[in-house]
Amino acid sequence: MKPYDIIIVGAGGAGMYAAMEALQTNPGLNIAVVSKVYPTRSHTSAAQGGVNAALANRHKDDTVELHIFDTIKGSDYLADQDAATLLCEMAPYVVREMENLGAPFSRLEDGTIAQRPFGGAQKYRCCYCADRTGHTLLQTLFEQCMRKGVKFFSEYYLLSIEHDGKTAQGIVVMNMQTGKIEAMPAKTVIIATGGYAKMYWQKSSNAAGSTGDGIAAALRAGLALEDMEFVQFHPTGLRKSGLLISEGARGEGGYLVNNKGERFMSRYAPEKMELGPRDLVSRSIEIEINEGRGFDSDAGQYMHLDLRHLGGALIKERLPQIRQLAIDFEGVDPIDEPIPIRPTAHYSMGGIDADINGATAIPGIYAAGECSCISVHGANRLGGNSLLEVLVFGKQAGHHAAVTASSLNPGAISTASVEKIQKEIEGYSHHDRTERYSDLREDLGKTLGANAGIYRTRKKLEKGVADIMEIKERFKKVHVKDASAVFNTNLFQVFELKNMIHLAETVARGALAREESRGSHSREDFPTRDDKKWHKHSIFHMNEAGEVIVSDKPVTMGKHELQERTY
Amino acid sequence: MKYAYYLSCINESLSKEAEYSLNIWTKDLGIELVPLEEGTCCGGSNLDFVNPDQFLAINGRNIALAEKLGLDMITSCNTCLLGLRHAKHILDTQPEKKEMINAVLKEEGLEYTGKSEVKHLLWVLVDDYGLDKLAAKVTNPLTDLKFAPFYGCHILRPSPLMGGYDNPNNPHTLEDLIRALGGNVVEYNSKNKCCGFHTLIVAEQESVKLSGDAVVDAIDAKADYIVTPCPLCHMSLDAYQKDGLSTKNRQGKMPIIHLPQIVGMALGYTEKQLGIDKHVVV
Amino acid sequence: MDEKKDIYFKIYRYNPEVDQKPFYDDFKISVERGVTILRAINYIKDHVDSSLSYRFYCQAGICGSCAMRVNGVSKLACTTQVWDELENCKEKDMITIEPLNNFEIIRDMIVDYKPVINKLEKYISWVTPKIKQADLGKKENIISEAEFKVIDAATDCILCAACFSECSMMSANKEYISPLALLKAFRMVKDSRDTRSDERMAVLNQDHGMWDCTHCYRCVEACVKNIPIMDAIQGVRNEAFIRKQNGTEGYKHANAFAQDIRKTGRLKEATIAIRTKGIFGAAGMLPFAIRMTLRGRMPSMFVKTIPGIKHVRNIFRKIK
Repeated sequence: MKPYDIIIVGAGGAGMYAAMEALQTNPGLNIAVVSKVYPTRSHTSAAQGGVNAALANRHKDDTVELHIFDTIKGSDYLADQDAATLLCEMAPYVVREMENLGAPFSRLEDGTIAQRPFGGAQKYRCCYCADRTGHTLLQTLFEQCMRKGVKFFSEYYLLSIEHDGKTAQGIVVMNMQTGKIEAMPAKTVIIATGGYAKMYWQKSSNAAGSTGDGIAAALRAGLALEDMEFVQFHPTGLRKSGLLISEGARGEGGYLVNNKGERFMSRYAPEKMELGPRDLVSRSIEIEINEGRGFDSDAGQYMHLDLRHLGGALIKERLPQIRQLAIDFEGVDPIDEPIPIRPTAHYSMGGIDADINGATAIPGIYAAGECSCISVHGANRLGGNSLLEVLVFGKQAGHHAAVTASSLNPGAISTASVEKIQKEIEGYSHHDRTERYSDLREDLGKTLGANAGIYRTRKKLEKGVADIMEIKERFKKVHVKDASAVFNTNLFQVFELKNMIHLAETVARGALAREESRGSHSREDFPTRDDKKWHKHSIFHMNEAGEVIVSDKPVTMGKHELQERTY
Repeated sequence: MKYAYYLSCINESLSKEAEYSLNIWTKDLGIELVPLEEGTCCGGSNLDFVNPDQFLAINGRNIALAEKLGLDMITSCNTCLLGLRHAKHILDTQPEKKEMINAVLKEEGLEYTGKSEVKHLLWVLVDDYGLDKLAAKVTNPLTDLKFAPFYGCHILRPSPLMGGYDNPNNPHTLEDLIRALGGNVVEYNSKNKCCGFHTLIVAEQESVKLSGDAVVDAIDAKADYIVTPCPLCHMSLDAYQKDGLSTKNRQGKMPIIHLPQIVGMALGYTEKQLGIDKHVVV
Repeated sequence: MDEKKDIYFKIYRYNPEVDQKPFYDDFKISVERGVTILRAINYIKDHVDSSLSYRFYCQAGICGSCAMRVNGVSKLACTTQVWDELENCKEKDMITIEPLNNFEIIRDMIVDYKPVINKLEKYISWVTPKIKQADLGKKENIISEAEFKVIDAATDCILCAACFSECSMMSANKEYISPLALLKAFRMVKDSRDTRSDERMAVLNQDHGMWDCTHCYRCVEACVKNIPIMDAIQGVRNEAFIRKQNGTEGYKHANAFAQDIRKTGRLKEATIAIRTKGIFGAAGMLPFAIRMTLRGRMPSMFVKTIPGIKHVRNIFRKIK
């Protein structure tokens, strides 16, 4: 079988932008986009708030420089400054390109793209399509991929990334409809499979499939992962489901209120108030709850997000989706009542170690989007920078893979690796296996939430690592009851569970190792940032024995010196 | 009880039996209908896209004729109901549209204000008249007969325009009426489905397939009649019944009756008086 | 504690690998208020029968994966409350779960979604910008809020295919364009950035295109995002009138209504078929005409003009 020039794994924002850009770079390339879901199902659709770009439509004095500074400061100085610079410099370009291609951005009176304030930004910089920005960008990208005739393999599950240590060879997938395992050879592979925050399970806003499939496959393929301990908790998840109420709600002027009726953010971010950065707001809520100023319920303690003063008309016009979520999942209409919220695992800053072209250590293997760590978000991502990242680095990876593909001549994927996967899958249905996947999944989520959540300590993290290692052992006995080859969702959920367990280990080990507090990583036993010892990226490898090894690498600096981060 | 009666084109031409079977018993119930001779065709669910503003003006005028009489308006056709209520909704919620049409209606001495309601005959019987009262008038209870209710689309959907009379996924007013007349209701799958009427001419094959589905469903449910509040559904189900059945390779006969006819039956009128013998399937 | 209730789920099962034909499985579980259909069937899958097959992804009503029929109606499992469905049960406390209609079944509630993609492709469901490739990203188009509002609702569509499943025409002919493709087409036709509307309108005007919609409004009723889909369908038809693309039967049929109202105030049923399809095309209507004549119901060739027709004509003159 002739190798594809590019195989893109994942059909979210990054994957589809990469496909579009690769065909723009070289229309003659043979490209396949492989995804475990139909493209428009991807989790990019869930991004509500918007995408940052210093267009200066609202604030005429906004600049790319300010955007760069906000991003670096927001990252608690862990972002690589070359990457953050590229991200912000390309932002106006990619946003305008999406607009040119049909994205229905909301408009200002003068007909230009509307912008609103967002957490951690000095200016009104966040471009939006009502409160469904991710959805409309994803639709637009899918439309453009159809226009360009991109070949999609929808409902194919990634089983492994193949390389020979020198270049990429392709991937092994399962055709989910038939259960057939297939080797797909390729000169270049772009991993764009999204994040891993679903490992927190019930305490996560993520899609069921945000299980870090590509990242885990990369780890097992010997590639380096970076900064895995940094998981962002969004301050305003719905009390019961963990589903997200976008920062747009606070951007439009929503209040966070405790059981004393106080806008408690005045204690923690007196200037920015509710629009402080996410990590700070999440921690503030956690403190309020710990100090007894939360509301009680069966589903745990919570706070109020109060939109009532904004009025029904504004809520209906600018926050329709948020209103619907509150009605559908909490039975609360924000026009009449405050929304019950609590912090929820939301975004994973860590991912596959890649450079600003999306390239990894293995020529031909690229990563882009949430699954990558380039690193633009460092220890904490700013709202509106994730959609931006998928666009900018989807474009980068697509372009560079397209340029590189012709110079690579990979060897064939070994039949041994396909057989090994085959054997592992057959093993799952063995009758002496007794562990139920759903129990493991819940146990994993619980220990992560309790021991590697917003506030971390050595004691908790040691417990977390031990729990995860035990779950990893139990997984060896996990049972797939469903014996059918046809769309075996039982099997796919077990694949996903395995990925989450492998990545959970990196999260917990990274968090245990990092003895400081930085961005989303808060150690109660090391409450301050320690630049001397810890101004560096964590790096994770899996050795032959399947153990996770933690090391580090320096942060790429630029014109912005280390400073204390206050808001 | 007095209403302005909106004259539907189909009842004036192809399906006159629906109209005279209505006029035969309204006086028995003490309902007075004032026909709106000056009213026009509602646009038949077509004028709204041929020219949306003309659609508003025409139906705003129709309703304004009723307003001039100080009466609420009744129609016995689903599609007329939709056209009139659709226009009314727009005129009642968009003042600039109301202003636009009133500028022209003024020349005729008319004004659309929105004060007259537009109702379907079925709703008037169930709500304004009342089923208990109606049941008391029944002289010939339809005890031995089984009816398959076929609502038709434009009395159910879009539900925000339909005044909350029925849940379109699980309607019941027509069943309530059948029971009040002493009849039996059969459960079958097609009661809230589409008869295909609006594509009878441009996509006949598909259209008769839809009506065929409903007829077969009713036959299988052992109904004696399908009863419908819409003369357009009646046309599809009755006049095209043979075509519908042939798409399913089925034989059989399912008489279709109009809402005014089932009421007439229960009030003691004969099939001939009600024009049921005028139907294609008898 | 939250109030709980024993609820029965009657769930459609079919695995073509082993089952001769579809059947239903019953599951009884205890469900508290506030639980969605998706969470309930997840519970069944995780604790009772792991072979139960359905798609789901975002669990927040934005990805469109989990559309299925609940008590016979197509909707998203993730945004539908179990307790709300109890009032729609045919048998008390028994909720029926079935796959979408109008699709081939892959397994249980998983349907073959490819026809949706094929239709989107056929009807050119994307913007082809006027801006040259090399100039993309350099500057934004200036678009008024008013223009944006026209397509705003349509851009809400998540392609869940609930409308596709509920569509009457779709059930009669799988070649039909489908409501979601009509909605996308409308959104593209009304977007001033696009350059291929002429071609798109040409495809829409073909058989099985925009004129075959039978106005049943089932799509509107089913839409999980409350998009007025019928307005979009009427919108693309209106576009044919704006562009005077008068060659189709659909156009001629609708135009006959406008002509008749202007002329007499009433529809001239006797000739509408001939005016739509021409003399030869309308020959197929002959059996109908014969049946009606046999019952003495052929409409008159002469339609009485309504009193006050001059006012109606005045409306057509003044309002364009």
